[in-house]
Amino acid sequence: MVEAVPSPIRAAAGLYLAAILLFVLGPLIVVCGVSFTAGDYVTFPPQGLSLRWYEAILSSSSYTGAALISLKLAVAVMVGATIIGASAAIVLHRGRLPATSAISALFLAPLVLPTIIFALGLLTFWSATIGQTSLWALWVGHTVVAVPYVIRTTLAVLSTSDKYLEEAARTMGAGPWRAIRHVVVPQAMPGIAAGAFFAFNISFDEAILSLFLRSPEITTLPIQIYTQLEFSPDPSIAAVSTLMIALTILLIFVIDRVLGIQTVAG
Amino acid sequence: MTAVHLDNVSKSFGGVQVIKGISLSIQKGEFVSLLGPSGCGKTTLLRMIAGLEEANGGSIHIGGKDSTRLPPERRDIAMVFQSYALLPHLNVLENVMFPLRMRRLGNRAEQRERAEAALKLVQLSHLAQRRPRQLSGGQQQRVAVARAVVSSPQVLLLDEPLSNLDAKLRETMQEELIQLHRQTGLTTVFVTHDQEEALSLSDRVILLNAGRIEQEGTPAELYAAPRTRFAASFMGSTNLLEVALEPTAGGTIARLPGGQSLRLDGAAGQGNATVMFRQEDARLTPAPTAEVAATVVTRVFLGSRTRYVLDFGGHMIRCLPPADQLFAVGERVALDIPPDRIRVLSE
Repeated sequence: MVEAVPSPIRAAAGLYLAAILLFVLGPLIVVCGVSFTAGDYVTFPPQGLSLRWYEAILSSSSYTGAALISLKLAVAVMVGATIIGASAAIVLHRGRLPATSAISALFLAPLVLPTIIFALGLLTFWSATIGQTSLWALWVGHTVVAVPYVIRTTLAVLSTSDKYLEEAARTMGAGPWRAIRHVVVPQAMPGIAAGAFFAFNISFDEAILSLFLRSPEITTLPIQIYTQLEFSPDPSIAAVSTLMIALTILLIFVIDRVLGIQTVAG
Repeated sequence: MTAVHLDNVSKSFGGVQVIKGISLSIQKGEFVSLLGPSGCGKTTLLRMIAGLEEANGGSIHIGGKDSTRLPPERRDIAMVFQSYALLPHLNVLENVMFPLRMRRLGNRAEQRERAEAALKLVQLSHLAQRRPRQLSGGQQQRVAVARAVVSSPQVLLLDEPLSNLDAKLRETMQEELIQLHRQTGLTTVFVTHDQEEALSLSDRVILLNAGRIEQEGTPAELYAAPRTRFAASFMGSTNLLEVALEPTAGGTIARLPGGQSLRLDGAAGQGNATVMFRQEDARLTPAPTAEVAATVVTRVFLGSRTRYVLDFGGHMIRCLPPADQLFAVGERVALDIPPDRIRVLSE
């Protein structure tokens, strides 16, 4: 018989839950609310209700231009990071390389390395070897940061799959490449898709690398928001942020529909 | 005709030799079991026939073709794994079609037809559209078997396929495997650690011990005439006695340290030896004064028969006499073992 949870612990748990709701959902609600204001200032609660700030951002070329750049970049990062990360995960999972654990540590290093140091290093390196930063520099930076997530999600799925599947495919007449294509990749698909989702999201709202590597031609959406906030803070930033939240929720919804949210969270 | 031929095959893992020069031939259509305790090398040997492990020495011929260095996909084999290894993203029919697709045997319609025939063979036609995870263990097992026989390989390899099933289902599957073998006529190599399974399924049993063939023969031969102590104890239900052999005019006398003695047929040797007899070969009669007598220590009722543990001059022996013989614990009984049923083992 399990004893009842002591009341101090229950109270602490309730407090913890309330704090999570307050600090996670609170800011989102405030941003959402501000975006519908009819006034000229970032204030909460909003003054009146209107869609004027949505009109403003959708007709502003600096916002739509930045959004287009961010979307293009995020899709490119998603494709690159998914191909690199999924291949790396499949190779690491087989564990036949001589230094599997060292290579795996190297691939996962960007998770623990402070992004700001990486950003500074990449900027210096890029300027010294290639010259002017470009969208390519951002693509490289974002991909490096996103790859570990794809590796993690793919490895998580592979580690729960039947390890004899690949061998079974070989005994059924599939060569090494066809075994990977017809058996290993379909197995890993939920993890690969989850990783792709993370990669897109990481690139889409990444600010530190984008800030270090920015040039007038490559202003991403987070940089545009940041610039706007710095020079003329108005509720347009709240409207952009709300649209970004909406996009993320939409993506989560799609992922859940296709794969089930547990795969992504796991 | 020989379907599989192994010549002096050996294999080491990290300096440890697990297969020590095994040679064997498997005839076309034969059902052969590789039997042995865990670590004897039986699974490694099977995986070497499949091409999943490469031999360090010797050669492997499959269907008359030197396959020693061929990767698994270029050997004409099929394998059923212990975990079944069904592809979870494909349904049952697609799983069974998979080997035909990979080996490019026939067009799509023909592949489908052959897969459906294979599913019919294992009585799973009605589950063709299910996913593997929606099936019970026994059903998954049958899909794996259907998938293995669908391409009519030179040799069908089974790696302890029944070990994940419960006892009752295992019995049913054994019977189905025998029937399937009769219907398809496929050359089959079956790996197991269960001697009963090996005895009931195979045409021939190859008993492995520490990377070598200990003994091979028909199930009846292995059961009745194990040559070594290892073979005798592994085949089960055996009494082993350390004796001193004395040749006499009418045969051989085996003396036990406790002073008791048993009669053996013919010239069975001389000096210290180990002899064996099976528990069902001993006949017990109520004879408190007999020369070869034992005392009942334990009685276990098994339903059709009763097993006795007897104190035979200090040795504990097990007997499974005919059902009509009933004795009480503590009773003195005469032990009558037909001389031709006592065998001398080589170490």
